[in-house]
Amino acid sequence: MADVASLAAAAQGQEHWDRLAARSARERRMRRGFLYVFLILASLPVMVPYFWLGTLAFSAHLSGVDTRVLWPSIFILVPSVLLTWLWAIAARTPRQALIGWAVIWVVAIAIFAVVVGPSLHLGNFRFLYNPNFNAENENIVAAEDNPGFSATSFPWVWTAFANSLIIAGGATLIVIIVASLAGYYISRFQYRFRTTSLAAMLILHAFPATVLLIPIFILMWQLGLLNTLFAIVLVIVGIELPFAVFIMKGFFDAVPWEIEMSALTDGATRRQAFFKVVLPQVVNGMIAVSVFVFIRGWEEFVFVLVLSTQQAKWTMSLYTFFVVEENSLGVDYGLVSAVAVFYILPSFVLYTLAQKYLLQMTVSGVKG
Amino acid sequence: MASIEFRHIQKSFGAVDVIHDMNLTIDDGEFVALLGPSGCGKSTSLFMLAGIYLPSGGDLLFDGHRVNEVEARDRNVGIVFQSYALYPHLSVRENIRFPLRLKKVPAAEAERRIAEAAELVQIAELMERRPSALSGGQQQRVALARALVKDPTLLLLDEPLSNLDATLRLTMRTEIKSLQERLGVTTVLVTHDQIEATTMADRIICMRDGRIEQIGSSDDLYLRPKSLFVASFIGSPPINLIEGQVENGRLTLGECTLSAGNAPIGEVTAGIRPEHLTIGEEGLPGRIVQIEPMGREILYVVDTGIGQLRVLEPGSTATHRSGEQVSIGFAEDNTLVFDNVNGERIADARFSL
Repeated sequence: MADVASLAAAAQGQEHWDRLAARSARERRMRRGFLYVFLILASLPVMVPYFWLGTLAFSAHLSGVDTRVLWPSIFILVPSVLLTWLWAIAARTPRQALIGWAVIWVVAIAIFAVVVGPSLHLGNFRFLYNPNFNAENENIVAAEDNPGFSATSFPWVWTAFANSLIIAGGATLIVIIVASLAGYYISRFQYRFRTTSLAAMLILHAFPATVLLIPIFILMWQLGLLNTLFAIVLVIVGIELPFAVFIMKGFFDAVPWEIEMSALTDGATRRQAFFKVVLPQVVNGMIAVSVFVFIRGWEEFVFVLVLSTQQAKWTMSLYTFFVVEENSLGVDYGLVSAVAVFYILPSFVLYTLAQKYLLQMTVSGVKG
Repeated sequence: MASIEFRHIQKSFGAVDVIHDMNLTIDDGEFVALLGPSGCGKSTSLFMLAGIYLPSGGDLLFDGHRVNEVEARDRNVGIVFQSYALYPHLSVRENIRFPLRLKKVPAAEAERRIAEAAELVQIAELMERRPSALSGGQQQRVALARALVKDPTLLLLDEPLSNLDATLRLTMRTEIKSLQERLGVTTVLVTHDQIEATTMADRIICMRDGRIEQIGSSDDLYLRPKSLFVASFIGSPPINLIEGQVENGRLTLGECTLSAGNAPIGEVTAGIRPEHLTIGEEGLPGRIVQIEPMGREILYVVDTGIGQLRVLEPGSTATHRSGEQVSIGFAEDNTLVFDNVNGERIADARFSL
């Protein structure tokens, strides 16, 4: 009899533990659900405009927004995102979740291809191969309702693209070389006012660079550098260098002294120790800093606008701005979107490729 | 191979004097240990030997030649750090090849020497791995191979065993010692661990606050310490030290008075090692307050008239109980008396019951 009683107690005990385990699983699912709600709400304001931008670039025609594409797209996108979120709560195992998401998105893309697919076209990207796209536009618009309006002549997009590339690449090259050397020096050597100079450098980065527009304009005029790409490279280097030095110092701080000492006793000169042993340890930092400076140079607008008056010196940022600003083109949403897509593509590719290194920067770069 | 000499070496960082007037000769092929607590200047001495720090004063001689200003890269010194300091971006083979590459050793000879060094420390099968894929003991061996591959005039070991677990430390201790004997390379070991120093080194240099406190064999340091500092730094469990006064050949310790043959009058510290005390029929009466089994020995903490004493008895099982009344005996030969004024041992002073 005693045995039966204790067995019953044990069985009841197991039920008790099972109940607790089930509650824990339920709570875990709820927490995951809230996380996804937050992520979706936080990303929607960013995602929806980019989605529309992409859709417009591949679908719009000259005469205004094509609602036959936009609304169906949104009606496919929003339910898919919602379903993804609901499934994240409902799924019991990670494997189940993955399979469910795959099904949802394969179906969504299939519907998209059937409903919207036929309306998609590449015509809006004609600016890539036709330097005179604006004149054509002007003719059409002017003929319709704007007699006597003359077209702005745009430089070819590849000129602007090359200018942007030179500015961003040049600034990146200078910043990464100077920041690596300076960061190493600040990390390794003691000198008077070390802390003060570090603090001062960060303060410099805190001020908006726009306040320096006039002084820099005068400076560049005196140096005879107006209307040169080099002037803009110099400005970006000046703005980005302090922070880059600070970040690189953090990476150098993480390289132990002993490795360098080891190299010195192994027969290396200080320079060899730096290039062969220390620098390879901070390659990730150099990549991260490079990406940030490059993107900063790629998006520079105000200083290009102020420091150069020739269209031949336009960058992608100015090109995009004037495409949006131009009266007649303002109607051609497709073209405006296509230019924007073309403009952000390099940044997007760069960010995607360098994501790993950028994440490391927030971890080891802050150690200052 | 080389003999080393520190002649009135000083080192200061800014206003801080780290080494004051260090004089030391290390013979060719000798294995010495710089032993001392952290901040005693032992690592600074090592870095001066390596050529990373420049002495502030005095002469540093390799084989009788002054090398103060000779760059680290020209000294041909092998060094093994506590953190091993392997180059993380290079494979084991490339790590060991690094010093040879900088010295522009011909490829064929380099390969032969790398293979030899790898064989010496038994890492031949790890050659293509990255340091991050190695265990602590393996990294240690790679660091040793990298130091030995350049056929160094001087091998420096900076706390090489501190990051290893206890068992591995034991094996590496033996291996490094036998390797050093086989190669006959002059070796300086820096450590704060007295066991490492006493087991590996021919001679131990005990340092304190930038000064050499005592130089000698492990017996010298253990049985004939020159000062209170050496006596208390060496030995585990630590030596029993009791402060007292000497008057008319009598030593007063706590409530007891003992005879102290030829000790001069004054404030002294009496010292005796735990293993030199025995629990027996005769001696100082006391009561056991704590028992700590340590494996092969039992440590008893005993309250006596002269203060609390640690007594180490052989055996793995305690033969006495806590609270038991016992008598503590000792031999006069094992006693030490230190002068409290300058902390030095009074050479021929002993005490007895």
